[in-house]
Amino acid sequence: MSSERRYTPTHEWIQSSGDHSLMRVGITDFAQKEITDVVFVELPKIGKKIPQGAEAAIIESVKAAFSIYAPMGGEVVAVNSAIESNPALVNSDPYGSGWIFELRADDPAQWNSLLDEKGYQALLVSGAGGGH
Amino acid sequence: MALPLVPYHTRRLARMTDFHGYLLPLSFSSILEEAKAVREAAGLFDISHMGHFLVKGPGARQAINHLVTSDLEAVPLGKSLYGLLPNDSGGTVDDLILASSGEGEVHIILNAGNREGDFAWIRSHLPPSLALLDLSIDQIALALQGPASPRIVSLLSQGFETMVRREVRFSTDSAERLWISRTGYTGEDGWEFFGPAEAILPIYKSLSEKGPDLGLVQAGLGARDLLRLEMAYPLYGQELTPEKTAFDAGLDFAVNLRKAPFLGREQMLEKREDPERDRLTGFVLAERGIPRTHCPVIDPATGRQVGEVTSGGHSPRVGGGFGLAYIDPSFFNDFMKGKEAGIEIHGKIHRARFHSRPFVAGGLTRK
Repeated sequence: MSSERRYTPTHEWIQSSGDHSLMRVGITDFAQKEITDVVFVELPKIGKKIPQGAEAAIIESVKAAFSIYAPMGGEVVAVNSAIESNPALVNSDPYGSGWIFELRADDPAQWNSLLDEKGYQALLVSGAGGGH
Repeated sequence: MALPLVPYHTRRLARMTDFHGYLLPLSFSSILEEAKAVREAAGLFDISHMGHFLVKGPGARQAINHLVTSDLEAVPLGKSLYGLLPNDSGGTVDDLILASSGEGEVHIILNAGNREGDFAWIRSHLPPSLALLDLSIDQIALALQGPASPRIVSLLSQGFETMVRREVRFSTDSAERLWISRTGYTGEDGWEFFGPAEAILPIYKSLSEKGPDLGLVQAGLGARDLLRLEMAYPLYGQELTPEKTAFDAGLDFAVNLRKAPFLGREQMLEKREDPERDRLTGFVLAERGIPRTHCPVIDPATGRQVGEVTSGGHSPRVGGGFGLAYIDPSFFNDFMKGKEAGIEIHGKIHRARFHSRPFVAGGLTRK
């Protein structure tokens, strides 16, 4: 695990946020375009334990509601309160200030089940992504 | 089905969506930005999916007037009106815009999803002496909407800006296929253009090219739905269905009971007397959330379901989540008087209050 970003077929990204088991999660640029104007985000509670692949947050856009699934299992240790007051950050800066939550990953091996940049781009090209 | 403007939208990187089998732009930039532009300047919508029928022959006006709730014969030639097409149990086949271009010529604009059903319904209720033509095949239809529309339409140098509200111009040279009207479904001033692709494409190009200098943006279905919901205009399939009458949907203004009897009139009146019928009502959420179609409406005192959301959304102009719902008469009166309802969204109850319709003042009501 480095500063590399990995992805899920449901268009979340996950990246180490400094120390090696602290992971930051957000949605991809493709996802924010699909979702359209984000109106608010229902953030998980700090301290909540979420298994890999379980629903962690809900993004409400003008168009519809979208579930955000945890790319890796772990305990939620931080949420991005900036997107509560300015949800448009998820659209304008999905990989930066539009991040959603941070978790303490409990099984580093799950990292290997995620898509790397090349794999995710291939998924977008094939149109096989799901979830959103 | 591929509509003629799809390649133009693709070039503009529009996000496309399926709507009743038609691929249409959902948005070009941001739904909220596009809706704002229509309220403050202008937007251009591709509405080529909508139906355009022509009824031709002696007595066409009278024959169509017998099928619709509003009084077409009381309206002068070249002026449009809104009406509903009731079925024989008083429910609704579709809602439409009508105008006569002559005693024996009625144009009808109707919803995409109902085009085939409408055609069959109208055909089966017209005498064989009248011709019914579907002009929508290979058509382009546009809606130019917003307070800047008069200045933008004048760029076409056709004198359209001198038209009055609801006026329709029909073509003389392009053989009965053009409809150009000062109408729309956003609550703002504007024009709608229907016609063969070769006749409307130059208008689309001209407006798209020169309009942006006057604030025109390309706008998609997302903005169109939000704008119509802010005005509480009904959408067929949501507020209007084969079971619901114009009265249920609060469209009493579109029903003329003094005109010559029309098909479905008695059944509509009978349904109106039913004390059990649900009423369409506007509501706003008192807390954060976005109601969507089919969300249950709950009486917080009993936990009992007392209604269902037909259309919902989020609007910065309204100030949050809002929508329309059919509500049980037992709860309706208390709700109107200020009692809170619960709207169930993702399994959680959100507090909602009655709101009068429309939710915002459009340009047409601001004046």
